[in-house]
Amino acid sequence: MTAPAAAGQRALTGLRTALVVESVKARASLVLRSTSVLLVVGVCVLSAAMVAAVRAGRTDVTRKLGPTVATGDWDAFLSVATQVTGAAAVLATGVALAWLVGREFSDGTVGGLFGLPVTRGVIASAKVLVYLGWAAGLGVVLPCALLAAGLACGLGAPDAPVLAGLARIGLLVLLSACVAVPAALAATLGRGLLPGVATTVGVVAVAQVGATLGAGTWFPLTAPALWAIAPGTVPAAALATAPLLALAVAALTVLAWRRLQLDR
Amino acid sequence: MTALRLAGATRLFDGGAGVRDVDLEVSAGEVVALVGLNGAGKTTLLRLVLGMLRPQAGSVEIGGVPLDRLPPHAWAEVGAQIEYPLAYPELDGATNLALAARLHGVPAVQVRAVVAAVVDELDLGRYVTVRARRMSLGNRQRLGLAAALQHHPRLVVLDEPTNALDPRGIVLVREAVRRRADAGAAVLVSSHHLDEVARVADRILVIGDGRMIGTLDPHGAELERAFFALVHDDALSRAS
Repeated sequence: MTAPAAAGQRALTGLRTALVVESVKARASLVLRSTSVLLVVGVCVLSAAMVAAVRAGRTDVTRKLGPTVATGDWDAFLSVATQVTGAAAVLATGVALAWLVGREFSDGTVGGLFGLPVTRGVIASAKVLVYLGWAAGLGVVLPCALLAAGLACGLGAPDAPVLAGLARIGLLVLLSACVAVPAALAATLGRGLLPGVATTVGVVAVAQVGATLGAGTWFPLTAPALWAIAPGTVPAAALATAPLLALAVAALTVLAWRRLQLDR
Repeated sequence: MTALRLAGATRLFDGGAGVRDVDLEVSAGEVVALVGLNGAGKTTLLRLVLGMLRPQAGSVEIGGVPLDRLPPHAWAEVGAQIEYPLAYPELDGATNLALAARLHGVPAVQVRAVVAAVVDELDLGRYVTVRARRMSLGNRQRLGLAAALQHHPRLVVLDEPTNALDPRGIVLVREAVRRRADAGAAVLVSSHHLDEVARVADRILVIGDGRMIGTLDPHGAELERAFFALVHDDALSRAS
């Protein structure tokens, strides 16, 4: 084997090792488990409660939520679920990522990640990949839970457009996770959990303000939610700004881990 | 054979703390102890060795290769614990050790045997199924040391390894370190327990105010007196 080929093989082995290590840590994490439960249960309960209130004739709720939920059917249910997921998923995934990265500094374990054949850049890459894998899992579980909640509310068998709406919510979770990737960079530069959490809250706030001011479909923080609510209004290229943002920030995070010094 | 060499290594922080112009060599098969008062620069020096800090001047070499050119796989020959043990609170003792072994380059098929051996060596059997967050400080420290030593590195770097350990833990760690050195590993260990380093070290280096200020004979009498004499003389020479 040539030297570059051997180096490539070793890098691949390093990434595989880091993925195993980060997966074991993520599976044992109470933070990831509780965040998953809170997001799934929270979105389902809120969506079901709103639709149940509309179906019970609560005109005050209908007035506040707008005409799209007045029907009290699957469309209303999905409308509430999509809007809640748009904000909650960014918050939940951002907090989870802030923990995945920031805990190494808060727990003091970051020192043990120096002087290893598995480089810190590879470890940071594995953290982001495990995070995206977890978010993709949530993107499957949440639509399934919403389907069960809708059936339990007596909304009847879903038709194809409803199933498409549920699938969009699943993809919205993954795209929201992309939007929350700056939490990893903040947790690294800020050497802890809280800068990551604060950045996540900032991302949610900027997205809300951006949406209110009509920032447009090309703004990566709002494009996923706008697409999930009104798919026809957001072109695929605009939607791609969210994963591109994630890729760029993840690359900066890996670079920050590679150049990391414990100097403060 | 020199396993570790620092030449003129300098790293200063705002306010003047840090290490300056440090020369140090550790050869295969020897245990070198670094002693000094709190804030003397011991941990900063060890951080330079592990690449946690980059020197502003001078160089750090492992196996004759400067750290910035050391290929990643070469770190598989190094085992270290600086300040905090690599022990994740939510994982039990065995899982923590298994993950540390993987990160140190131990092949997956050998991990179980490697972990079993170090559990036996450092008497951690009672803690393999106990989560690190439920362990005492001393046992977590012993777990971290096991993680640093289990892959039988050729260079061992330990910062205050006997902190928080009970007398039995101290003996176990001392024997484990001595065993590694007798097998050919180079060991650099910092401490402020003079009696302890006298039992394990082949050489004792004294650091004060970020500079190497002298050596102590591990077999000499009145080690404590000799240490304070060095520190006192250094303080006087800096004041004058």
